[in-house]
Amino acid sequence: MNAWVVFRKELIDALRDRRTLFMVLLSSVAIGPVVLIALSALVAGIERRAEERTVIVAGIEHAPTLRNFLERHTYRIEAAPADYEKQLVSQSLGDPVLVVMKDFEAELARGEPPLVEIVSSSANQRAGAAEGRLTRLLRAFVNEQSMLRLTFRGIAPAALEVIDLQERDLANPQSRAARLTGMVPFFVLMAVLYGALNAALDTTAGERERGSLEPLLMNPASRVSLVVGKWGAVAAVGMLIALLSCFSFLPAQGLLRSETLAAMFQFGLREVALFIALLAPLAAALAAAMMAIAIRCKTFKEAQANNTVVILGISLLPLVTVFDQGGEAPWHLWTPALGQVTLMNRVLKGEPVGVVDVGIPLAVCTLIAVGGIALVARQLRTAAVR
Amino acid sequence: MIEVQQLSKRFMLGRGRKARVVQAVADVGFVAENGRITGLLGPNGAGKTTTLRMVAALIAPDTGRILVDGIDVGRHPHAALARMGVLSDARGLYPRLTALENIVYYGRLHGMTEAAAIARADLLAEMLDMKPLLERRTEGFSQGERMKTALARAVVHDPPNLILDEPTNGLDVVATRALRDALRRLRDEAGKCIVFSTHIMQEVERLCDRVIIVSHGRTVAEGTVAALNAQCAERDFEETFVRLAFTAEERAHA
Repeated sequence: MNAWVVFRKELIDALRDRRTLFMVLLSSVAIGPVVLIALSALVAGIERRAEERTVIVAGIEHAPTLRNFLERHTYRIEAAPADYEKQLVSQSLGDPVLVVMKDFEAELARGEPPLVEIVSSSANQRAGAAEGRLTRLLRAFVNEQSMLRLTFRGIAPAALEVIDLQERDLANPQSRAARLTGMVPFFVLMAVLYGALNAALDTTAGERERGSLEPLLMNPASRVSLVVGKWGAVAAVGMLIALLSCFSFLPAQGLLRSETLAAMFQFGLREVALFIALLAPLAAALAAAMMAIAIRCKTFKEAQANNTVVILGISLLPLVTVFDQGGEAPWHLWTPALGQVTLMNRVLKGEPVGVVDVGIPLAVCTLIAVGGIALVARQLRTAAVR
Repeated sequence: MIEVQQLSKRFMLGRGRKARVVQAVADVGFVAENGRITGLLGPNGAGKTTTLRMVAALIAPDTGRILVDGIDVGRHPHAALARMGVLSDARGLYPRLTALENIVYYGRLHGMTEAAAIARADLLAEMLDMKPLLERRTEGFSQGERMKTALARAVVHDPPNLILDEPTNGLDVVATRALRDALRRLRDEAGKCIVFSTHIMQEVERLCDRVIIVSHGRTVAEGTVAALNAQCAERDFEETFVRLAFTAEERAHA
């Protein structure tokens, strides 16, 4: 009963803090879709270049045979700019450059291998992405030439094909897209964190700083009911921001500029519901943990400084999957934040999420929440008089 | 009625080697009757705030007993708190809530219904002359407006006992007079038991029916202002207070 009264009051109080809410919405709700759209523009650019079928060549005039091959395959040949090396390094040129030497044709005719260079920079991501395509194109040219030579000498081309090599891609469209959409869980996670942060500090250290904690404790309400009410409100604000963050990705999908990406990025109401179900326990745990740290601090500012540990931890833990290339390890699910990100990524990839997989993070979060609430309740009276 | 018997409290300050024990309250005892304003007068650091915090069940005494209308605060803190309204030294309000919401919040925590709490807040606003404040957010309130809101919040559940810790701190003359009037009305019209701590002599002379003088954590004297003056053969209450509250040595150093 009292917990409900406290919950309602704290929720109203937090939602009236418009300036803070606006900043949180701007930083954790708007930025996700913006980054997603920017990324889609990048992917669309790469796709467009792939479709354009343009090859940038320096010295194509020395290689009529190659020109003939490229034109037969409907590639447009563009002369490389004179300072292409500089442009590749400064990343203003987004395509690798094919460099043909002066005596290409003569050497080819003599049966000597002429030197052909593919010039790119591994620091230049756009050029790097197109490099594989150019290499494959050149291999096709080499293949064609050798076939011709064999046929000329009366040997069946099949003699050279020792194996029949075919590629088969096991990734479904969703898991391919997950490479790009993997950041969506991260942004939603940040939304929970920053949504709950301010309310967590305001209901504990803020209450001390204002001098309203002491009078509050002079009401005939149990400390646990006061803390549970506050904690509920903090977790609810975190979840509200997370919900808004999830929903902001729905309209953002319509703005995706890459058609393939838009087709692959399946983030609908089902995904939103699963995300919220996965994040609710985390919001509860984070709220309790941040409150437990903040109640020991006399001022809002001090509490903010002390809570950087939590903020940093929650922001960095999901990066484990980036640094650790060994794939998913069992301990990931036992780690707060990392467990949620892992499961959200599975949802995005369309992989099954089992009961045990959800149960582990849920148990961990429950433990943290209960521990945090108990700590705050124990500290409350000491905090009020000191 | 509030009865305080032989209260004592020690605090540990600092940690490790620097730790030292401070005897905040050594032996404080008094009885505050219904329909009376009882003043707790003492110099800064005499143990007034600690005593009132113990009465309000915020800290547990090392020894001694506190009875509020016969209820032992140590054993039944919630039942005792339900019969007390406390305006403590810290009287922070919630700046994003209106004065009314601040008052009703405490009423709800005292188990009142929303409607009953609003009705009571209206009544108190009339009495404290703060009607226009009710619908305003407390952000930007003056000290006097804050005090009125905090006082209304403390007595929203209409408690028979009222405890105020240095309520006039930071108030101007007009606000102080308004507070005094409000306290007199609560005493005369509702017969409340009011305990009031202060270090200002004039407050006590103007308002209190009975004075408890606390010094170095002990009750050193009690009675009406006139009786205490007579006891010390002084005409000026300030002289009486200095004689009673400070040792000869302290008076010589002052």
